[in-house]
Amino acid sequence: MSRITDLQKNLFGGTTSNARQFGMISTLVAIVVLFQIWTDGLTLTSGNLIAVVSQYSYILILAVGMLMVIVAGHIDLSVGSVAAFTGIVVAKAMQEHSLPWPLGILLGLLVGAAIGAWQGFWVAYIGVPAFIVTLAGMMLFRGANQYIGNADTVPVPEGFRKIGAGFLPEVGPDTGYNNLTLLLGLAACAGVVWREWKARQTRREMKADLAPLWVIGVRLAVMVAVIVFATLRFAGGRVGTSLPISGIILIVLVLAYSHYTRNTIGGRHIYAVGGNARAAELSGVKLKRVNFAVMMNMSILAALAGMIFVARSAASGPQDGLSWELDAIAAVFIGGAAVSGGLGTVSGSIVGGLVMALLNNGLQLQGVGSDMVQIIKGLVLLLAVAFDVYNKKQGRFSIIGTLTRPFRRDDPADTAAPPAAASDVDKTKVAG
Amino acid sequence: MRKLLLRSITAVGAAALLTLSTACSNEREGSSSSDSAGSKGFSKDSLIGVALPAKTSENWVLAGDLFTNGLKNAGFKADVQYAGASTTVADQQAQISSMVTKGAKVIVIGATDASQLTTQVKQAKDEGATVIAYDRLITNTPDIDYYIAFDNFKVGQLQGQALIDGMKAKKPKGPWTIELFSGSPDDNNSKVFFDGAMQVLKPLIDKGDIVVGSGQKDIKQTATQGWKAENAQQRMDSLLTSAYSGKKTLDGVLSPNDTLARAILTSVKGAGKPVPIVTGQDSEVESVKSIMAGVQYSTINKDTRKLVAETVNMIKSLQKGDKPTVNDTKSYNNGVKVVPAYLLPPVIVTKKNAAEAYANDPKLAPLTK
Amino acid sequence: MTDTAPNLLEMRSITKSFPGVTALAGVSLVVREGEIHAICGENGAGKSTLMKVLSGVHPHGSYTGDIVYQGKKARFDGIRASEQAGIVIIHQELALVPGMSITENLFLGNEPRRRGSIDWKSAQRRALELMEQVGLREDPDTLIKDIGVGKQQLVEIAKAFAKDVKLLILDEPTAALNEADSQHLLDLLRGFRERGITSIMISHKLNEIEAVADTITILRDGRSIESLDVKADGVNEDRIVRGMVGRELDSRFPDRTPDIGEVFFEVRDWTVRHPASDERMVCKGSTFNVRRGEIVGFAGLMGAGRTELAMSLFGRSYGTWLSGRVFKDGKEIRLKTVADAIGHGLAYVSEDRKSIGLNLLDDVKTSMVAAKLSKIARRRVIDPVREHRIAEDYRAGLRIKTPSVDEGVVKLSGGNQQKVVLAKWMFTDPDLLILDEPTRGIDVGAKFEIYGIIQRLVAQGKGVVVISSELPELIGLCDRIYTVFEGAITGEVARADADPEVLMKQMTATKKSPTP
Repeated sequence: MSRITDLQKNLFGGTTSNARQFGMISTLVAIVVLFQIWTDGLTLTSGNLIAVVSQYSYILILAVGMLMVIVAGHIDLSVGSVAAFTGIVVAKAMQEHSLPWPLGILLGLLVGAAIGAWQGFWVAYIGVPAFIVTLAGMMLFRGANQYIGNADTVPVPEGFRKIGAGFLPEVGPDTGYNNLTLLLGLAACAGVVWREWKARQTRREMKADLAPLWVIGVRLAVMVAVIVFATLRFAGGRVGTSLPISGIILIVLVLAYSHYTRNTIGGRHIYAVGGNARAAELSGVKLKRVNFAVMMNMSILAALAGMIFVARSAASGPQDGLSWELDAIAAVFIGGAAVSGGLGTVSGSIVGGLVMALLNNGLQLQGVGSDMVQIIKGLVLLLAVAFDVYNKKQGRFSIIGTLTRPFRRDDPADTAAPPAAASDVDKTKVAG
Repeated sequence: MRKLLLRSITAVGAAALLTLSTACSNEREGSSSSDSAGSKGFSKDSLIGVALPAKTSENWVLAGDLFTNGLKNAGFKADVQYAGASTTVADQQAQISSMVTKGAKVIVIGATDASQLTTQVKQAKDEGATVIAYDRLITNTPDIDYYIAFDNFKVGQLQGQALIDGMKAKKPKGPWTIELFSGSPDDNNSKVFFDGAMQVLKPLIDKGDIVVGSGQKDIKQTATQGWKAENAQQRMDSLLTSAYSGKKTLDGVLSPNDTLARAILTSVKGAGKPVPIVTGQDSEVESVKSIMAGVQYSTINKDTRKLVAETVNMIKSLQKGDKPTVNDTKSYNNGVKVVPAYLLPPVIVTKKNAAEAYANDPKLAPLTK
Repeated sequence: MTDTAPNLLEMRSITKSFPGVTALAGVSLVVREGEIHAICGENGAGKSTLMKVLSGVHPHGSYTGDIVYQGKKARFDGIRASEQAGIVIIHQELALVPGMSITENLFLGNEPRRRGSIDWKSAQRRALELMEQVGLREDPDTLIKDIGVGKQQLVEIAKAFAKDVKLLILDEPTAALNEADSQHLLDLLRGFRERGITSIMISHKLNEIEAVADTITILRDGRSIESLDVKADGVNEDRIVRGMVGRELDSRFPDRTPDIGEVFFEVRDWTVRHPASDERMVCKGSTFNVRRGEIVGFAGLMGAGRTELAMSLFGRSYGTWLSGRVFKDGKEIRLKTVADAIGHGLAYVSEDRKSIGLNLLDDVKTSMVAAKLSKIARRRVIDPVREHRIAEDYRAGLRIKTPSVDEGVVKLSGGNQQKVVLAKWMFTDPDLLILDEPTRGIDVGAKFEIYGIIQRLVAQGKGVVVISSELPELIGLCDRIYTVFEGAITGEVARADADPEVLMKQMTATKKSPTP
């Protein structure tokens, strides 16, 4: 057991944070392999991978924002409606007032920011639970969508469609691949190697144990192989296709938000607020500001996701955004976030989202009906979390436990968690 | 232990190499010709994709079964998919993409939202598949090849006429008070039905023989989002409270289909009003029963069997490399191009002619006896 | 009770391991019928784990060794099983629903039924009987949140009686109670002994143990060290301490020569209103000061307003500020937010580590730097190397027992958690440290170390305010002590004049300051 964990630790990065990803990533790999075999190799074809990325990028973008909301101890049920509302506003503005599409995108982000400020205000400064505020928002903005759109479908201009359905242009010599995608892949390989080197330096400075070189070699080889494989697949699709632009937007967002949540003061504050709001406040964290920012950020990302979907659908319609919030929330929880907040990672949520996406896609390729797909997705969500809870209780290996931090609120040493501790702060203070 | 490690590492390495080698098989070659649709034909056991909307009406369920069997009997491999009930558009988009990935030669689409499939239809076209819009015309795209449906304008006209006939039979002299309902605004057909019916009704409304009780005559006011029964029922409920309080009676309701007709009837009964003349469409079992019981007045028989059979015929001629038969090359402009269409004639059904109209239908025939 | 009383419970060489640690290594415990049996040990010695094994929280099969209860081998597979056998454990953190009445809490999960619905009449009657047994005089319809901690404790015990208890286990029963309530509880335990109910009591308060226990079992590092008969062995506090730490502690407080400078921190007329009530003042015109290099104590009974004073100073974290000014180095400073307070060099270590002091999801190093992230960040991006180095420095400096600074704080013992909190606030480099009950629930050895840390801080010229319910601690540690009663400062006593009697008199209000 300990040897396996050692190996796991070595291969998946010396730090525990990387070791945590192990469980979920292996689930993802298992799903890919399963469907790859089951669909006779269709899952990993260029065409399918490109389709999956453009189909689910907007859900994954939502998952990034939702992760931060959930880590801070809130929830956002309004993302689908906000996305739909933004979509119709932008589509109408471009169609009826002939707003140029770049300004349309800007307008959409501003609409998202305004909605976010509205919801953040109620959550952070008035103290209405986010569940209620966003439930209200869910109805409010769905209604606003229908009011503005008259339940019509409004087409969007060609240029705008690029963010949802566009690809990188074909430039340079004919290599048989999309050259820009190849360049991106190359950059990714370089990035991975650079990061590994950087991490090793950091560990050396910390005087921590250094993994043997062969381990690093293997790890890099695996990662580079995956990147090369993915690059060739995305670059080798039909002429005119490549890594979708929505996928690039997603990757940029994931990198940026991973960095933000992991390495910056602002990111730490989100975890602190979700882990113990009162303790965070007494440590000088500006609670209201953090809550406001998290809610606002979510709405901006929802607006972006809405625009990407509209762009991909070439039109904004009244059905846009329906039950997106549920997909995003499911992704975050499958990815190991805690319902009570304070735990979870961006990369975990992305992996969780990919698990759902590939499951969806694989079942569809298999011709399984959407009714069954929903049943299976529901069960997967339930089992993923239940399996984890069960294992944690038994003190055994836990998939999500390895993914998230190794300790949680309800540690076995603390089972008699008192209801009083969860009650009002007031009481603890009266006992002075 | 070390051995085990080494072994697992070599395994991982081998796997990586393997994936790399497969990665090199590039898919760029297959994309040379995209205008091949219908001109060369394809092999007899090819995959045919059928993407239908959510199972909100019996008709779609029946169509799905007929497609599965019809295509199988013709020797094709069939992949018939329904969109999920709450995530219709996104589901259908994903399903069409999957069909393209699986190499479907023809994709038949009963669209949930006729104008949000542009990207997927283009993808299908680029991969060389022929796209047939089934029942609902897909708009804003040059990439659709054929449209097959019942003559929906005719459907509307028949509904309008049936409404007038029914009311006349009950109350020979006007003026008659009616309410208008139309289908989902994201379904291209809704407008066609409505326009057809209004072509018949408008002259009488203008003359004052027919009065729309609530005054809601615009298609935006009469629309039923998502073709959902609950939405129609809600609207009817509020109409009854706002425009038919007291003794005011309602003589007729123009309903675009059976599901909505039944919802409207439920609402009227709930309000304790006498049953008005209500039109319908689709010949759903419950509505046929209702017609036979003298509650709902009429429905339209658009024999799904015929429509599916014609679609399969179309696919068969595409397979052989022939041009499929079309009978209308002018009327269906989807905003980008005029789509060649094959239209089937609809039949109006009331209690009088029900036995005759459903004689060949194993499910409905017994109900009419 | 006589030596011939039969054994009610025997736990024989219990061994329990968690991944990576052995919590109990062959612990034995013999409890005779009708006695009060105290279990002592430093935090992390294995007391709680042992009780969890006994009560079935760690079910049969997850440990090795035997439990013999009432002459038979017992195999409890859960709390329910042990409760059915009459073993009831009352945790330090009470398991009551604050929004329900006393009656409802007493019968929660055990409601008397009549024809399918709850029979409130008989519940009421039984509730009164049970409350009588524990000497609780309240209206049984009173909500739990409206009675004090002491009475809540009694409700918990009454709840145990509702379950027909034979063996009552109390984990730190008096930790949160004031003097009078503690006394009442101890009397109650003696009363139970008369009635033949056996009690096991876990406590850090050695004077209470000495006063009430018949037998003491001492645990150290997951082993049972010795079992003492209080009367026969002539046990006193020092004897217990020796057993717990395995050595003699010469003094309970480290030596120190005070080097006290100028007054640098001053609070004048500080008045704060209770957050929920317009009339109640939690601070009434409090005025006090702190000198450099000085340890200032705040003595007062529970609810006297000591914590409220501290927290309202610390960025107005409690109540509604009405009036009062704060001066540092002669200049008035404004402390409207916690960030202001930290910026002006204040630090507040709360009395309640777990619920407001620490984020229990964090690891040691993240906890330590949490109050001043800007110190380890460059352009808002955290430097992991600096973070790690700083955490390692504090770990060594404060002798925090943890396998690594990446360990979760939840896994640390109370004393080590407290050191982490101290490190967190030392890292902000404060001029004035306010420590609220810094040694609550902490074992003797760790207490001594924390006193040492406090003394090192004042030796650097910082000021320290210590709020404590333990008078000996204040007298032993502080240079000057303020007494607080009902929100007002009622006196100021220099170290030389401080003795428990003087303090107690002022804490119970002989002199009241005029209320605004």
